[in-house]
Amino acid sequence: MTEEALDPLIHASARLRIVATLAALPEGDALSFTRLQDMLELTPGNLITHLRKLEDAGYLTSEKTGNGTAARTSIGLTGRGRAALTAYTAALRGLLGGL
Amino acid sequence: MNDTPDLEQTATADNGGALDPRKAARLLEQTSREARRQFDPTPPLLTALMGAVILCAFGALWLSVLGQHPYTGPNVGVIALVYVTVAVTAAVTVRVHQRAIAGVSGPSTRQRTVEGIAVLVSILGSPVIQGAMKEYGASASIVYGVIPAAAPLIIVGTTVVGIAGSKSDWPSFGAALAVVAGGVVALFVGPIDAWLVAGISLFIGVVGYAAATTWQGRAVGRV
Repeated sequence: MTEEALDPLIHASARLRIVATLAALPEGDALSFTRLQDMLELTPGNLITHLRKLEDAGYLTSEKTGNGTAARTSIGLTGRGRAALTAYTAALRGLLGGL
Repeated sequence: MNDTPDLEQTATADNGGALDPRKAARLLEQTSREARRQFDPTPPLLTALMGAVILCAFGALWLSVLGQHPYTGPNVGVIALVYVTVAVTAAVTVRVHQRAIAGVSGPSTRQRTVEGIAVLVSILGSPVIQGAMKEYGASASIVYGVIPAAAPLIIVGTTVVGIAGSKSDWPSFGAALAVVAGGVVALFVGPIDAWLVAGISLFIGVVGYAAATTWQGRAVGRV
């Protein structure tokens, strides 16, 4: 197995941390943007860019509720995102086993 | 508080550089473990500490009734101390729980609320039985001994067994089962030792739960 087996969307430190953090939540749950940012210690701009990439791939969903000062964005891992992380972990395991 | 940055806004992303597989595996393990720790509403260390507090509280109740002939029940000072201990423990637990679930939304938070209500309702079961027993003239050994020591373990424990079983939450299931078993034993050891048996079974259940979740967390995080 080669490194090409690793999903390039997840195989980047910031996105790997985003997906791993969201996967620690029970299935179907979402996390506020603020808490995610606090946990990962990323700048808002950096986090947004990675979230967009993962959302475009169907790995994440984001939902905006409220407006004005009460506005809140929640981000959750989709079933596809969870499956992608499982496949990534398996590929990583296979790769490390072969090293 | 507005925590809604526009996901459409543009920004430069830092991909974090090239990741070699070993570094990726380490990062995945560390991030998963840290996230689970932060989302955990019942951290093992706090849970184990609660087990010790429960054991001390029940130990104090047991010591306060030790040697009573006839049995009259725990003294008011010890009962007040236990209530204060329970209140402080509950406040700390609620604070930790709130911090763990801050920013989390979805089905699990709603389910936890329902479970909390079910457990609170089941906690009321024991005083109700106690009141009925007193009304029907049961002795102090039953009203202030066996029932308050054993009934909460059986009633609340059974509720938790049901909740945990339906979610395949085996650490909670095992812990609650141990507590129910302890409650059953406490029913038959007399009003004095019932307090000791109840304290020991709660301690075993709570500390066992903490140990099981710690082990489970380590096993799940491994790549």
